[in-house]
Amino acid sequence: MTQPLIEFVDVTIARHREQLLSRVSLSVTERTIHVIVGPNGAGKTTLLTAALGLIAFDGRILAHWRRDGRIGYVPQAFPVDASLPVTVEDFLALTRQRRPVCFGVSASTRSRVSALLSLVGLRNLERRPLSVLSGGELRRVLLANALDPMPELLILDEPASGLDEGGVAQLEDLLRTVRDGGSTVLMVSHDLNQVRRIADRVTVLDRAVVSDGPAIETLALDAVTALLPSGGRR
Amino acid sequence: MTPLYQWAASLAERGILPSDFQYPFLIRGFLCVLVLAPILGGLSHLVVTRRMAFFSAALGQAALTGVAIGLLLGEPLNAPYGGMFGFCLLTTLGMVYVKRHATLPPDTLIGVFHALTLGLGLCLLVALTRQFNVHQVESVLFGSLLTVTDADLLLLVAVGVIVAILLVREYNKLLLDSLNPPLATVSGADSAFLEYFFAVILTVSIVVSLKVIGALLVEALVVVPAAAARNVAGSTRSYLAWSILVAFLAGAGGLAVSTKLLVPTGGAVVLAVSGIFFITLAAGVYARRRRAGAYEIKN
Repeated sequence: MTQPLIEFVDVTIARHREQLLSRVSLSVTERTIHVIVGPNGAGKTTLLTAALGLIAFDGRILAHWRRDGRIGYVPQAFPVDASLPVTVEDFLALTRQRRPVCFGVSASTRSRVSALLSLVGLRNLERRPLSVLSGGELRRVLLANALDPMPELLILDEPASGLDEGGVAQLEDLLRTVRDGGSTVLMVSHDLNQVRRIADRVTVLDRAVVSDGPAIETLALDAVTALLPSGGRR
Repeated sequence: MTPLYQWAASLAERGILPSDFQYPFLIRGFLCVLVLAPILGGLSHLVVTRRMAFFSAALGQAALTGVAIGLLLGEPLNAPYGGMFGFCLLTTLGMVYVKRHATLPPDTLIGVFHALTLGLGLCLLVALTRQFNVHQVESVLFGSLLTVTDADLLLLVAVGVIVAILLVREYNKLLLDSLNPPLATVSGADSAFLEYFFAVILTVSIVVSLKVIGALLVEALVVVPAAAARNVAGSTRSYLAWSILVAFLAGAGGLAVSTKLLVPTGGAVVLAVSGIFFITLAAGVYARRRRAGAYEIKN
């Protein structure tokens, strides 16, 4: 029997007297791919930010860790200064070696970085500065960063944005592999076709929970199709 | 330190070192440059990455006020470190605290502190002129090798060693936090600690550099070396190496110019570092043009 890994209980978040989330309660079951969908401004990213502990909130978020409680995170935006000479290898080495990266990357870290880049379909990109990567390449690098060591909870905010068709297919395969390996995926997505393909469970959010349940049934509800115009189509 | 000065003087007499090295103050100045280059050059690439250039400028102004406070409280004219350290640390902690808790943009908040400390400093300096000739504090404003003592040099070395050890320990977290604070937090770094930590070591490094570089010009050495390095560096490693090299060349060049032309050391160092910046800028543009493809129209 699967158990909840993360539970949001009456989570309310306000900023500048504006309520961003109102009494959100939902449960993310372990070893599932749980996708949050909703229109712009629905509070999806805010909910992920709260799950990461980066924002103050009212209510409770309960984490039932079974392993080390490690969280992998792929943010929605990762602005990189155009003149910053930090390479892909430098970036991935930051959390993988104790030696300061400015003193060089160790041989063992170098091979680990190389394997990680292969995993996300980016070979021979080690020496390329982060600032010259395309949006899709940067997203894959962030995904590689989040996958090592394998997290207990993987949080992704619009991971497919900027990816080409092959990249999206590879991402979906990776997410399934992560789930089948025992991790839990909590992600935000705007691509409802992708949600239908990979989601075990969907929460429709519009500052409060509109609907929550298995992907196909949830996306077909009248309230959801009204909120997300392409929600009812297959 | 005397045996070291005598040894250098004997090398200068034999023509192995330039003749200026027969003067102890110049040897002290050169040693200061040797220590300052890795400290400020090393810090500068994180200062620029963390967008703290304006913060550093505000700290330079705060140091001026700190000097005035120290002298008014009875500290010696050639070492008002209590006032400088005390006031600069207070200003730093205030700026970081307000930045973390207010919703205004950081540059606006730093501008408020900048104006506050400068206004206070000017008022105190006027009060100070009743006790001292204002020219006596010029060395702190613009930097002067003549006022640097062995004790200043030893303090610089001690702070340099401590700053280097602390930076090595926290470097990777600091860089990740500069790139993306949420990612750093998720990977186990304490973003608030890192922000206070870096601000404090930057403050301490700036304060111990003031007698050589000067309060009004010190921010140049914690910003321009990294700016120059970015024009030519291709990785984090070369970014650090270039920053330190630029800081050293500017320090040594400025020292030589200030000795020959009898101009303030700080001004000469800043002119040198600015000159290097424009050389690297031109080199970077030239390298990019050589790599760029040509656009051809065929009719």
